[in-house]
Amino acid sequence: MSFLSRTLAVASKDLRSEIRSKESINASVAFALVILLLFSFAFDPTSDQVREIAGGLLWLVFAFAGTLILNRSFARELVNDCLDALLASPVSGAQLFLGKTIANFVILMVVELLSMPVFTIFYNVHWTQSIWLLFVVMLLGTWGLTVIGTLFSAMTVNLRLRELMLPMLVYPMMIPALMGAIQLSTVLVAGDPVGADNQIWFRLLVAFDVIFTLLSLAFVETVLVG
Amino acid sequence: MRTKLIILFSVLAGGLLAWNLHTIFLKVPDEASQGAIFRVFYFHFPAAVTSFSCFFVAMFSGLIYLRTRNLRYDAAAAAINEVAFTFALITLITGMIWGRIIWGIWWAWDPRITSYFICLLMYFGYFMMRRAIDEPHRRARLSAVLAVLASVDIVIVWKSIEWFRTQHPGPVLEIRGGGGMAPGMEAPLFWNVLAFLMLETALILVRMRQQSIQSEIESLRRYAHAF
Amino acid sequence: MDRNFEYMFYGFTAAWLIVIIYVIWIALRERRLRDELDRVKRMVEDQEREAKK
Repeated sequence: MSFLSRTLAVASKDLRSEIRSKESINASVAFALVILLLFSFAFDPTSDQVREIAGGLLWLVFAFAGTLILNRSFARELVNDCLDALLASPVSGAQLFLGKTIANFVILMVVELLSMPVFTIFYNVHWTQSIWLLFVVMLLGTWGLTVIGTLFSAMTVNLRLRELMLPMLVYPMMIPALMGAIQLSTVLVAGDPVGADNQIWFRLLVAFDVIFTLLSLAFVETVLVG
Repeated sequence: MRTKLIILFSVLAGGLLAWNLHTIFLKVPDEASQGAIFRVFYFHFPAAVTSFSCFFVAMFSGLIYLRTRNLRYDAAAAAINEVAFTFALITLITGMIWGRIIWGIWWAWDPRITSYFICLLMYFGYFMMRRAIDEPHRRARLSAVLAVLASVDIVIVWKSIEWFRTQHPGPVLEIRGGGGMAPGMEAPLFWNVLAFLMLETALILVRMRQQSIQSEIESLRRYAHAF
Repeated sequence: MDRNFEYMFYGFTAAWLIVIIYVIWIALRERRLRDELDRVKRMVEDQEREAKK
């Protein structure tokens, strides 16, 4: 079997298990809705100021909800020594990691797409003019979050206080990707075109995704096996 | 031998720092627009430069561990990171005090100081993770990977400073091609960098000695339990 | 200008304080480690003596 087919096998295993149980998606969507609600108490949700912070709001919601998904990613394999079985199988560390990242990416994208209409209704923003560009930003930003998060999920899987360690380690690492995604989303949600000085954020997002995907693939074997 | 090195570095560092303090307070004139507060820069810049480079040295030490699996390199990496963390804290606090006078606010959210704060948070996570792992080789392995990721991330965040509009003062030193400092004022800065490097080396050697005592304790315990 | 001097002293004090606190913390840890090393060494000696009997 080729690299790609093994990777997709791992991804489809995770996705199939998620579709059947729907544990992570339900919890993440509910959490995202709660955060959107809580933010509405922090400031006036109907004012024009929302336009300035809309991007930030959106990506904070995605980052927090994403952590729930990422925590489960490797933790679900601890039961019945499934992780040991996976590591002993012909699937390499890189294939396992990439498969799980793809699965997490798809699940987080679903959560984000479900949260977007609620966000639009609650905060009265209009983004339909730039829907495709916003979708591209979501793809790039979500990949950055999931690639870092899945690697750290692998790192923290056997640690004490795993649920505390993962957010503490992951959030500072994600900051460049969040920065880029937030800046671009704010501009796009406000209905403005992405000007020359904002294009640097696209480059930052792409560079971040490429660099951390390569680094993660390079180190995942060390992290999982030794 | 190690003790002699520690004493040597400490004495040299102490002497240099004392000499520099004399120069900074008595010989160097007040800066034209900033007044006396400018002298804090003589601590802020060396602390920033030395701690930043120490983080990278520690990253290489971790990579060498991954190659050789010799725990001494992990001990070195942890010691270097700890000392660098302390000096990064000094950088942040002196930067805030300087900012209070120059910009009127304690925290201006300018990219350079913010990225240094992010760096501190990442290495705080590094130390928390080390405390959560008991097995030495696993701790060393995961620390090395985390240090590489953190160092690369710092560079990405740092580079973004060059793309932002920033409130931080532009490059002050001639070597960076910015508006230069008056010639008489630069020398104590570089001497302070040297002094800080020596002080940090002394502290790192002390910490490494403590790490080897710690591992001696652990191996004696294992031996004792074998009875 | 007076305010500048005041803050300059705060800056220097903060820097030196952090270094001094760190050095004290290292020294305390050194003492604790040496005590523990002595204790563990004594424990090993006792156990070796017991095993010889």
